[in-house]
Amino acid sequence: MDTKWKNRKNAVSFMIFGLGASLTLGSISGILRDKPDGAHIWQADQILEEDYQQSRRFRGYISGRLENFLVMACGGDLRRSWGYDGASGFLEEGSLYAQEAVQELWDGYNAALEELKELEERRANDSVDSVEYEQMQAALEEELEVYSQELDHYREELGIDQGSPEQESGRVEEHLSRETGQINEEEEKARSRRREQIAQSYHEQIRGDQNLLYTVSYDGKELYANTDQLAPGADGKPAAPQGCNFLLFFDGERVTITKDGKELDVYGDGYYRDGSDWQKESDWCVPGYRNFPVEESIKKAQVCMAVVREPMLYRESNYVDGGFGQYDNTLYWMYYNRQRNRMLLEREFACLPGGIVLLALAFLCRKGKREAAGRIAGFQAGIWAECKALLFAGGLVLVFFIVRESNMGYGLWQELREVYFYNEYRAMALTGLGGEILRNVHPAAWVLLFWCVWLLWNDFRYNRKLWKNSLTLSLYRAFSAKGLSRPLPLKMARRNALLSAAAALYGLLAAGTAIAFSSRGSALTGFLTNRGRAGVTAVVILILSAGFLVTAYLIGKKNVETARDMEALAGYISRIREGNYGAEGEAFAGHDLEAVMAQLEDIRQGMEKAVDEQMKSERMKVELIANVSHDIKTPLTSIISYVQFLKQEEGLPEHIKDYVAILDEKSQRLKNMVQDVFAVSKAASGELPMHMEKLDFGKLLCQTLADMEEEIEKSPVSFRTDFPQSPVMIMADGQRMYRVFQNLFQNAIKYSLAGSRVYVTLTADGAMAVASVKNASLMELERDKDFAERFARGDKSRTDGGSGLGLSIAQSFTQACGGEFSWETDADLFVVRVCFRIAGDKSEIIAGTETSAENN
Amino acid sequence: MGADMRECVLVADDDREIVKAIGILLEGEGYEVLKAYDGLQALDILATRPVRLVLIDVMMPRLDGLSALMRIRERQNIPVIVLSAKSEDSDKVLGLSMGADDYVAKPYNPQELAARVRSHLRRYTSLGDIHAGSRSGEIANGRLLYKTDEKVLYADGEAVRLTATETKIVDLFMRNLGRVFPAEEIYRRVWEEEAYASENTVMVHIRRIREKLELNPKEPEYIKVVWGIGYKMEKQEKCS
Repeated sequence: MDTKWKNRKNAVSFMIFGLGASLTLGSISGILRDKPDGAHIWQADQILEEDYQQSRRFRGYISGRLENFLVMACGGDLRRSWGYDGASGFLEEGSLYAQEAVQELWDGYNAALEELKELEERRANDSVDSVEYEQMQAALEEELEVYSQELDHYREELGIDQGSPEQESGRVEEHLSRETGQINEEEEKARSRRREQIAQSYHEQIRGDQNLLYTVSYDGKELYANTDQLAPGADGKPAAPQGCNFLLFFDGERVTITKDGKELDVYGDGYYRDGSDWQKESDWCVPGYRNFPVEESIKKAQVCMAVVREPMLYRESNYVDGGFGQYDNTLYWMYYNRQRNRMLLEREFACLPGGIVLLALAFLCRKGKREAAGRIAGFQAGIWAECKALLFAGGLVLVFFIVRESNMGYGLWQELREVYFYNEYRAMALTGLGGEILRNVHPAAWVLLFWCVWLLWNDFRYNRKLWKNSLTLSLYRAFSAKGLSRPLPLKMARRNALLSAAAALYGLLAAGTAIAFSSRGSALTGFLTNRGRAGVTAVVILILSAGFLVTAYLIGKKNVETARDMEALAGYISRIREGNYGAEGEAFAGHDLEAVMAQLEDIRQGMEKAVDEQMKSERMKVELIANVSHDIKTPLTSIISYVQFLKQEEGLPEHIKDYVAILDEKSQRLKNMVQDVFAVSKAASGELPMHMEKLDFGKLLCQTLADMEEEIEKSPVSFRTDFPQSPVMIMADGQRMYRVFQNLFQNAIKYSLAGSRVYVTLTADGAMAVASVKNASLMELERDKDFAERFARGDKSRTDGGSGLGLSIAQSFTQACGGEFSWETDADLFVVRVCFRIAGDKSEIIAGTETSAENN
Repeated sequence: MGADMRECVLVADDDREIVKAIGILLEGEGYEVLKAYDGLQALDILATRPVRLVLIDVMMPRLDGLSALMRIRERQNIPVIVLSAKSEDSDKVLGLSMGADDYVAKPYNPQELAARVRSHLRRYTSLGDIHAGSRSGEIANGRLLYKTDEKVLYADGEAVRLTATETKIVDLFMRNLGRVFPAEEIYRRVWEEEAYASENTVMVHIRRIREKLELNPKEPEYIKVVWGIGYKMEKQEKCS
């Protein structure tokens, strides 16, 4: 419940973040895209300007038109115009500009010739090596070839005959000299006629666009006009016609602009400044400034332009040429884009604060967001790296398509290419391109790009090694030696799955190919025709691949069965290894592994028998010892009893008393020995009853020491202890462990150097509790001697009271309690360690059931 | 004590030397000892003589000790001490559950055996129905009886002489039969102060108490160490 709520909270936090980031990024990039050219992002009033006439573009357009009209008015040479603004139609008449082009071509041709000549000279002087020479020669010759082809083309245009190079050169030079130098009257006339032609065709091109009304007159004579509504009023100035709110009038001296009935201050302080200062807008680029004076020749010109408030789309019907086209319509599109962009901008400006607020919220609950991101990363970690790479590439491709789609044929890519080739201007062009890209890329593309990068970053941040979980690595692991550590059936199943997948893929491919083949023609009717061969092939492939798939399936099924059997077999083997000989395994009748299983079953039965027999003999041994000890005990009882009477007898001679004392001591020792032998044999056979309970190891040691206090006091050694303050809980049988430490301490007392110290320490190290008893041995310790061996002792004489079973009992009892018993010798130092696993809380329950009987 | 006043104890064992040894031991204590060398013989003697206590070996010819014990229990309620060379816990439990009052493993300690005989006889003859129901202000546990008002402990009907500290410990144990007390808690409740290393002090006192009330202080039946946990007064099954 709690985690569910937390998960939900995390998901909501992340969604807030995602929405906020997307909204903010989308609206910012949208604003950058849709803002009017030249307006900066902080200039909200300009960005949201409704009036299309307030834009820089509009100004440029109007001043460009005025320039063109003035050129037309004074019969000047109307230069080529570019792009949207220009009317492309008349540019096709390339012949009008052929002469200029020919001159350029000729210059280039001569320059190339010069270069070639120079190269030959250098070749003669041996100042250039042959390889370089050949390369340069080839390049120059190719260049010359291109020039001469181009020249051929223009020769045709100009009507110049083809002749020998010398002749031709002379004639073109002659032609050019006529062009540039001695211009006679006839040519001058032809030239102005040509200019007029260009102007006329330009006029034809733009006159249909009634969004811009104009009249152009020179010396009082109207030359070009597309309206009659612009007649000058009483004051010599025209009034704006119906629907127009913008009026520009050039009277030969100055430009007057009236917008919405108000006259604009065009000239300001009388000096023209272009918009190179980025904070200021350019002045109107019209003549009449003190530093941009009116030319003498256009003083007679009068231009009047009126622009409508709400432009419309004008179309031209031109059915003779087979259809209809569009007029210039620049203003309409300017207006249309302004309206559309404003709508978009309003939306974007509304979204931006929302996005920022959401981002702020996301910052407040960033913990949840981070956890959610971690979960996403966890999900990502499960995806193969190859898939992620594909998805990322797919995202980029999608971004590419969004950009291309939203570009609507605008040559952003072409622009990019050109930027690349403009070597000198690359830096400048790139800065311009930045704005261009912003203007041309759809916000969705930015958002998508952001998420692609975010996902990649998130993956990298949490998962670090992105390639860790990849298909390639998985395949590698499945077949490499490293993968051998995994369970066999799993590996087999994986390989099998891979094989089946490959088979299925192959089958699908084959079938797909077959279908592709057969669907070329109609498969049914095509059997009999030539194309039918493809159909037949398709059917054959289909049948073959189906057969292959069926075979693969059958083999796979058998493999899965074998894998399952192997799993069972492995489990069976490990059961036997654990000592569970009783359970019979499955028969695997009819399976591949039947024989193997049968053999294993034989082995198991043999082992079961052997273990049974061993157990039986062990039991017999214990029984024997029990019987023997019982048989010894009965006469021993009499011996002890009568020795006791003898001890109580008064008036015995001293030497008899000595004998009795010896008898008493030895009979006691015999009694101890019999009991110890019995205990050891029982413990070794595992038949010793145990009462395991949770107890404090440290307390046990304290109690044992306290219990043996008298013995210790009497002994020539002293004990030093070091136990932890806090309890060290272990699971053991307290009574047995008391015996263990009693024996250890007795040994230490018995075999320690007089006056030395016995160190008893307990350490709790992580999961293990280790008690150690260290004493300096009285006698030299034999190296590599198994002290815990039954009846082994430090000395071989066996004259003291011990049974020689002390360490042996300690070892068997410790092991019976589930502890570890070890000893080591270092010179005369004898160290015994008793290790137990520290009991957790779980074992308390078990301990409780054992002790509760005594606690009621 | 006159000869006719002597209490009769039956010793049954197939090992004649042991019977003789016990005979010497118990006659030294002032009892009249009747001897049997198999189970049937023991039953015959029980039918004819006023026996107050039976010491019986488990493994005997003709009729084993445990079967004989069952026959005895059919008619008589006298104390029966089982003697056996089997010293396993399971053997002890078996013997006690068949109706034996005590179980002594061979080779026994002669003093202990004599003490046990004495204890059982005293409880049987002089205290009689001590287990019929404990009166208020008295806590009975096996051979022990503790009078809470007087703070006096009786073992087999005789007052045990305890020091003040020992009495406090016994008081704690007798009032909480079977409960395990860690040494720290005993120290806190008896000495009424916090203890750092209390184990030795407590152990010394416990050893002294044991010497006063246990029949064999080396193998105590009442005050026991629960190794690695603490100390307790064993609750004797026969008294509750």
